[in-house]
Parts: sequence; C-alpha cells; structure tokens
Amino acid sequence: MDDWLIAIIKVVGIWVWVLLIAVVMTWVERRGAALIQDRPGPNRAGPWGLFQPLADGIKLFTKEEIIPTKAQKLLYIIGPLLFSVPAFSAYAVVPFGDKIVLGGKEIILQVSDVNIGFLYILAIGSMAVYGVILGGWGSNNKYSILGGLRSTAQMVSYEVPLGLALLGIVFVYGTFSLRDISLAQQGTFLGFLPNWGIFKQPLGFILFIVAAYAEANRVPFDLPEAESEIVSGYHTEYGSMRLGLYLFGEYVNLVTISGIIVALYFGSWHMPYIDLGAYLGPISWGIVSFCIFFLKVSFFLWMFVWVRWTLPRFRYDQVMGLGWRGLIPLALFNIFITALFIQLTV
Amino acid sequence: MDLYFWVFASMSVLAGLFTIAARDALPSAMGLLTVFIALAGLYLHLHAPLIAIFQVAIYAGAILILVVFVIMLLMAPGERLAAIQANVSYRGAGALLGLCLIGLIAVGTKGVSEIVSMKALPEGFGNPSMFGDLLFRDFLLHFEVVSVLLLVALIGGIYLCKKKL
Repeated sequence: MDDWLIAIIKVVGIWVWVLLIAVVMTWVERRGAALIQDRPGPNRAGPWGLFQPLADGIKLFTKEEIIPTKAQKLLYIIGPLLFSVPAFSAYAVVPFGDKIVLGGKEIILQVSDVNIGFLYILAIGSMAVYGVILGGWGSNNKYSILGGLRSTAQMVSYEVPLGLALLGIVFVYGTFSLRDISLAQQGTFLGFLPNWGIFKQPLGFILFIVAAYAEANRVPFDLPEAESEIVSGYHTEYGSMRLGLYLFGEYVNLVTISGIIVALYFGSWHMPYIDLGAYLGPISWGIVSFCIFFLKVSFFLWMFVWVRWTLPRFRYDQVMGLGWRGLIPLALFNIFITALFIQLTV
Repeated sequence: MDLYFWVFASMSVLAGLFTIAARDALPSAMGLLTVFIALAGLYLHLHAPLIAIFQVAIYAGAILILVVFVIMLLMAPGERLAAIQANVSYRGAGALLGLCLIGLIAVGTKGVSEIVSMKALPEGFGNPSMFGDLLFRDFLLHFEVVSVLLLVALIGGIYLCKKKL
C-alpha cells in the first residue's frame, strides 16, 4: 500500500512539476526573445508579465474549435494527442534527484529505475514523429504535408547519431540505467576533472546536443515548421487547444531533453568537487539534490532559448547533409575511439 | 485467465484486422503501429523488456516510419488505390500468401504443447548484457552473416538509385 502511494505521489508530482516548468518556459521563451532583440516583451499581465502563460492558456481553451471540412477527421483529432502523450511519458525514466529517506524508507527520486532506461527514451522519442505526421496528413493541406514529410525525414535521420552518441555513454559507464549513470558521475578523475559525462565524452556530448535539437524541431532545425516557407508546417490548420497541445508538447520535450543532458553529461545531482550528500541529513540532501538537478536543467532550457534567437535556420539540404555526412561519421568515429580506449585501458 | 494478456492480444488482433480492412493507406499504417505497440506490451508481459523496446524503437519507430514516408510521398490525403484494391489477381495472391503464412505458423506451433509447462527463467533473463552474450558469442557467425546480407542490400540499393556511379 505504502509503495503504491509513493509511486503515485512520484508520478503525479513529477508530472505537475514538468508541466509547471513547461508553462514557465513559454514565458521565458518570449521574454528571452525580447531580451535578445532589445525590446520589452510581454510585460503587462502580472509582475514582469509572469501571468502571460495563464492568459495564453485561457485564450487557447476558450477559442472555437474548428475542423477544416476537407480534413481527415480522425487523423486530424488524433495527431496532437499522439504528439503530446509520448512527450508527457518520456520523463518516467529520467531521475530528478538522488534519494530521500522518510521513516526509514529509502525513496529514490525517479519514477522508475529500469535497466533499459535510455532505450525507453529512444523508443518513446521515435513515437512523437507520428503526431507530426498525422497532423500534417490529416489537415489535408499542402504546406502541412510538406511539414510532415520534412519532419519524418529529419527525425529518422537524426535518431541515428542520437542513438550512436548515447552508445558512447553506455561504453563509458557500462549500464543503461540513468540512475546508475548518475551515481557513477561522483568524484573526480585524472586528479582534477569532475567525473562527468561531458569530460569523458566531449565529442559525444556535442553530437548528442545537436541531434537533440534536431529531434525537438528547434531552431536551427525547425524545418518542419519554417513559418517563412511553409507557414508553420504541420500545425497550420490547427487552432484552439489542439494547437496548444502541439506547442506545449514541444516545451515538455525540451524539459525532458534538458533532464537527459544533465543526467548523462553534467553530473546529474552532483556538485563538482564537493560531495554534499556526506554533510547533509537524508531529507535535506534529497531536497538539495533536487534543486541542484533543476538548476542545471534550467541552464539548458535557457540555452534552447538562447540558440533559438541567435542562429538562423538551415536550408533543408544542409540539414540532411549535416545529419548524414557530418554527424553519423563523427558518431561512428566517437564510438571507435571510445571502444579502443576502453579496450586498451581496462 | 490472464487479463493483461487478453487485453493486449485482442488489441493486436483487432488492430491487425483494421490494418487489412482500412481503405486508406495511412490509417492502415496506424493500425499496424497499434499492432506493434500491443505486441510490445505482450513482450513486456513475457519478461522480455529489451525485445519490447526494440519492437517499438525499430519496427514502429524506424521501419513503419519509412512505410509512412513512402505513403506520404506517393499519395494525397483521401486518395485511394481503387484500381489495386479492385484487382482480383492481387486479392488472390494476397489470399495465397496469407494461407502460406498461416501454414508456417501452424508448423511453428506444432511442438508448442511441450513448452507450455512452466520453466523457471534463467538468472538475468532479458537483460541487455545477456543479449550481447547471445549475439556476440554464441551466435556470432549468424550475426555476421546477417550484417553482410544487410551490407549487400545497402550496396544494391545505392547501385539501383544512382544513375551514374
């Protein structure tokens, strides 16, 4: 009974927390854009415009729902759902802190610590593309279909370097469980470098972050949307909360990707050089590790905004060329070097 | 009666029926997607999480995506391949192939009554490391033969689509 209660609290808690971050991210995105473009941005609703996401939500909820007459009704309706459900369920295997001890019971701060952790993420991530495809196809609009086609090709291409980059991490830490990888990142190696993934897999990290940006359809890889050429692509025909699900699912994806980056490459909940867990009590360490983790996550969330308003969009052939001719050979090279290194040292 | 099994088994059968009964190409592909996901659920139930994940990541996430990609390139929404659907010889060929498949399954399940008796699973069953051992130690030759076969297919594909080599 207790285990069930804890599991439910964890699932609901992290779900609400991720949604909350995604809501705040919509505000950060617009304020960040304004900051970079030297203008005020949304600043009317509440202090610093903080209630703007709320206003947007009310607007999307109360708008009339229109289904285009020529749309394929079923596909059109399923599309946004199929996009947002994988986004909401991917966080299940990503940790959000070390552990908390309550009444002699050890609770790990992760919904489910399965030993195939990141294969699950890859599988769920590859499901999200169906939402885009169905949205584009169901709308029965040439721009939408173009957007759907682009996203299919792009996501299939970039899943390869993404998976290969993750393979490097598996080589180094010898496990698929995100919690075990997080635990292994404590301490230092070579005497001064923190035991983090980025120092052991620098090339892998660059490959991963580039491929992750492409998987999340973010600038400079937002070809499926490309409002200047194909008018927002797959969600051109969507309005009200269906559009909301697409836009919101994207931000939830960003939170998950940032969580994975932190857990794999940036020491998860560990501070460099100091092992805070040895100084703090079991409950306070749980809370502090949670805070450290999300402090790091918020940096990567900010980086998504930063990159979006700094870099221009690629041309389509450049995106595909980068994927197949640039990233995949580099990823294979990375795996080769890593395997060679492990073979020679272990 | 195992409720979990029946939910996913009936889901996969119904989705399979929808796949062959649907008139439009893309909804049919979505039916196939549902079959894959239901099968993944069954694999999970059989303590084979890695197979379940591969089922989703490779079959649903890569192979079916390519099928959908071809559908999107060649057809327009709402368009039906009426000529092919009405062609009797295609239907006959489909029935023949289907019967062959059923025959294969029947041959395959002939000895199934022997494995119905429950056996304890070996230690670490379904772990990624156990898979690695199987593929790269016990069945290394088979694995390498398959990879050579894939390489040949790859080269053949490139040769066919390049006009000038």
